[in-house]
Amino acid sequence: MKALHIIRREYVESARKKSFLISTILAPVLLIVLYAIPVLTVFLVPPEQISVAVLDRTGLVATEFVSSLSGTPENGKQTYKAMVADPMGRDPAAYKKILVESIKNNALDVLVEVPADVFEKGAVDYVSKDYFNERLMDEIKDKLDSIIIARRLAREGMDYDRAIAATTHIHFNERKITKTGMMEERELIGEFVLVVIFVMILYMALLSWGISVQRSIIEEKSSRVIEVLLSSVEPRDLFIGKIIGVGSLGLTQIAIWGAIMLAVGFSSSFAVAEFSQYVSVSFGDVLYFVLFFVLGFLLYSSLFTIIGAVCSTEQDAQQLQSIVVFPMVIPIMLMFFVLQNPNSTFAVVLSLIPLFTPMLMLARVAISDPAWWQVALSIGLLVVSIYGVILFSARVFRAGLLMYGKRPSLREIFRWFKYA
Amino acid sequence: MTPAVKLTEVSKTFDSFKAVDRVSFAIETGTIYGLLGPNGAGKTTTIRMILGIILPDSGTVEILGDSLRSRSKDRIGYLPEERGLYRKMKVIDLLTFFGEIKSMNRRSARRSATDWLDRLKLSDVAVKKVEELSKGMQQKVQFIATVLHDPELVILDEPFTGLDPVNVNVLMDIILEFNRKGHTVVFSTHMMEQVEKLCREICLIDKGRKVLEGKLADIKKQYGHNSVTIRFRGDGSFLKELPEVAGVNDYGNELFLRLKDGADPTRVLMAAGSRLEIQKFEVAEPSIHDIFIEQVSSG
Repeated sequence: MKALHIIRREYVESARKKSFLISTILAPVLLIVLYAIPVLTVFLVPPEQISVAVLDRTGLVATEFVSSLSGTPENGKQTYKAMVADPMGRDPAAYKKILVESIKNNALDVLVEVPADVFEKGAVDYVSKDYFNERLMDEIKDKLDSIIIARRLAREGMDYDRAIAATTHIHFNERKITKTGMMEERELIGEFVLVVIFVMILYMALLSWGISVQRSIIEEKSSRVIEVLLSSVEPRDLFIGKIIGVGSLGLTQIAIWGAIMLAVGFSSSFAVAEFSQYVSVSFGDVLYFVLFFVLGFLLYSSLFTIIGAVCSTEQDAQQLQSIVVFPMVIPIMLMFFVLQNPNSTFAVVLSLIPLFTPMLMLARVAISDPAWWQVALSIGLLVVSIYGVILFSARVFRAGLLMYGKRPSLREIFRWFKYA
Repeated sequence: MTPAVKLTEVSKTFDSFKAVDRVSFAIETGTIYGLLGPNGAGKTTTIRMILGIILPDSGTVEILGDSLRSRSKDRIGYLPEERGLYRKMKVIDLLTFFGEIKSMNRRSARRSATDWLDRLKLSDVAVKKVEELSKGMQQKVQFIATVLHDPELVILDEPFTGLDPVNVNVLMDIILEFNRKGHTVVFSTHMMEQVEKLCREICLIDKGRKVLEGKLADIKKQYGHNSVTIRFRGDGSFLKELPEVAGVNDYGNELFLRLKDGADPTRVLMAAGSRLEIQKFEVAEPSIHDIFIEQVSSG
């Protein structure tokens, strides 16, 4: 098998390149930094104090609102410096102007104005320069809401203290049914982000390794080594050698990344107990990752060999390669939808389309638990398409290899397919 | 004996351009064969078809008594027209790889590469990267890649183009050595000096067609001794009008005249002597260069 020698040369020579070393070491470092930043900010950046002033026209709400805001912060992220804005005999409208002025000067963050008719109309003014975040607004609203509802109930004759107890808001404990059927306390948003990163790594690995197959072929064409190779081996050996050689180096890189991640994951879950809460990718997910890398690589890299075979220069190839890159970007754009609705009909159909399967089925199995037949069907369809694509590209590869100079049109490529 | 290479009515068309048009020839085992022709005549396309790098549109190619398969590829050594080496690889690794894809095992490929590097005085650069080598050294490495596996059939496409005189001699030595072992050497060229020195047989192609083929000696005989090289001072344009003259090549300082069958060279000398100051007059067999020029410019 002459392909074996091609595979070995491809593997060894590419592994010796500096670019391989750099991408193998640098990528996980970058990823860890990217992922660690938001986690670390929670621990290292002191919570910001939000100053809130209440201008109360009813005279019934302010004191309690201020004391409920000043209590222990619930999510540990924000503390409030709340105060009652007392006009002390001044014209309330003029006083409001002064408060708005201090928001402009950053002396105050939020002004809440409770109008006299709040119990009838239920409208409260919320004035702020920054949007802050939804959580902050929700929190302020919930607190005020309870007090106003309790006041309404008190007007209907209920005891105020009992009313305030009755209006306490509920709290969601987020729990997810995992693939093992266990219920675990999880921060769903953290898991979501992790799956996004997981799928993005697959996308980037498939893209960069696919393009290196293409680049390796173009390099052989432009250095004319290709003629020496073809006088010794069949184009089929070269085609197989390129794909398997580059692909196994890609797998090696993934294995190294996996080992690094595992090491970091272990050491940090001892150091920071909270970290394990964020790492929710299971061993099964990793197996799927490897499976979809192998299948996706076979699919896309066969297409990249066509680009490599028909182009004589990198510049030519860069224009043409978008034909292959485009179907890889589509699943990335659809990924957020699929992650939010992993078992919707649309998501199921998308993940069965072979060009999208590697990214989207991985997203589905990582975030939820799709029916086994869907996973099996998607893999089956993918394998069948890989077979077809390899047959097609191996033919075009053979015909295109020795075409130097002018880049062929798509029609010519199909004609080669017929002749080859 | 089966010929080393046999082409029968081979044609190849690129788009509407007929690169090779119904070319047939057979190359005997153990010969040194020259494939001649001007630039763009179809030499490289013919060679690529012999090697199975591209397939002919029609016609058949037989190599070493077989249709070309991976197996027979192992018995061929090929030096492409434009040199092709992996620039980032170490010389010894590169040569070992080229040996391996000719079905040598790793150890014997490495040993053969080392021997050849020794012989061509390149041992010092064995562990250097190809791109660190001078152009002349890279050319030598490419020769080694061609002959490393001791092929029975060596095919060289324009091997002498761009070589310095030292490397020309190195290559000629290799060609003669292979010939002595009874191996077949085929090379294309438009440099006639090496053809005269090396080739036993030639095939001349022009515009994709075979113009002339056979043993060098026979071809020369066919052109006869009836040719004249003349150097003179004065206007010699009338010479081509002489009734004895069949063809003319004007080389500037000298004029080559091919005479008609049975024509008497003495009459040419007398005609020339009456009107020109003659510096040199030689009756000789035509050189392959003369034949080449005449064939290609008349076609």
